[in-house]
Amino acid sequence: MSGFSRRWFLHASGLAFLALAVRRLAALGAPRPRDDVPWKVQQVLKQLFGDRPVQDGHVQLDVPTVAADGRVVPVMIESDLPMAAERYVKAVHLLVDNNPDIHLAEFRLTPQIGQAFVSTRIKMRMTSPVRAIVETSDGALWGAAADVRVTVNGCG
Amino acid sequence: MTIEVGAARVLVPTGIRRGDVIDVRALVEHPMATGLFRDARGNPIPAYFINDVSVTYGDREAAHFVWSSGISRDPFVEFSLRADREAPLTFTWKDNKGGVFTQTVDIKFVA
Repeated sequence: MSGFSRRWFLHASGLAFLALAVRRLAALGAPRPRDDVPWKVQQVLKQLFGDRPVQDGHVQLDVPTVAADGRVVPVMIESDLPMAAERYVKAVHLLVDNNPDIHLAEFRLTPQIGQAFVSTRIKMRMTSPVRAIVETSDGALWGAAADVRVTVNGCG
Repeated sequence: MTIEVGAARVLVPTGIRRGDVIDVRALVEHPMATGLFRDARGNPIPAYFINDVSVTYGDREAAHFVWSSGISRDPFVEFSLRADREAPLTFTWKDNKGGVFTQTVDIKFVA
């Protein structure tokens, strides 16, 4: 009996709690893993890009953290990738996870555009991650995502 | 609120110099109905939205957009353009019911 004293139990549970807390903290600091992309979004990505991986970086996505009106949410996508004749951003894709139509828009660009920058206004049904994916002429994919909290539904 | 479907505006800055990367803004009036809403009497409002936008600069297409009904009503878009020649910049918006709307501005350089 002495091995399972109250003191032992308190120590053990305290340590276990501490271990869990440390893991939680570590997870908070770490970048979000790829596999947090919902299944339905993965299907859309697969349809658009096949098995090509989307890497993080080179894309700046500007969206509000809270959108008061889901019918008009401003979105700005910018990339520092070159727009030269031999290598340029050929498309900018906009995806909203929780919208009826996940692949919201595609902006096909040419070197004539000069700078990979697109700004528009979109509808959002509910709080959701918004994803911007940039496709270069040599097939590389770069992406960024941000969460937008929606207070008024914009899709019916 | 009534709108004049297809009324469009394209804005470019004044005082463009050859080679400038300019900001182009375009807006077309359109309901962009998703087909998911109902009117006050409960009848469904059919989908009616712009799904294709083409931007030509001179004789070449500079950009092409493919949209869903998720773009807001009276769709607005802003992007860059390398102004390297004096030529007309033409927008052509097409909707899912066959409507076609165009608007042109002339890219001209200051002396």
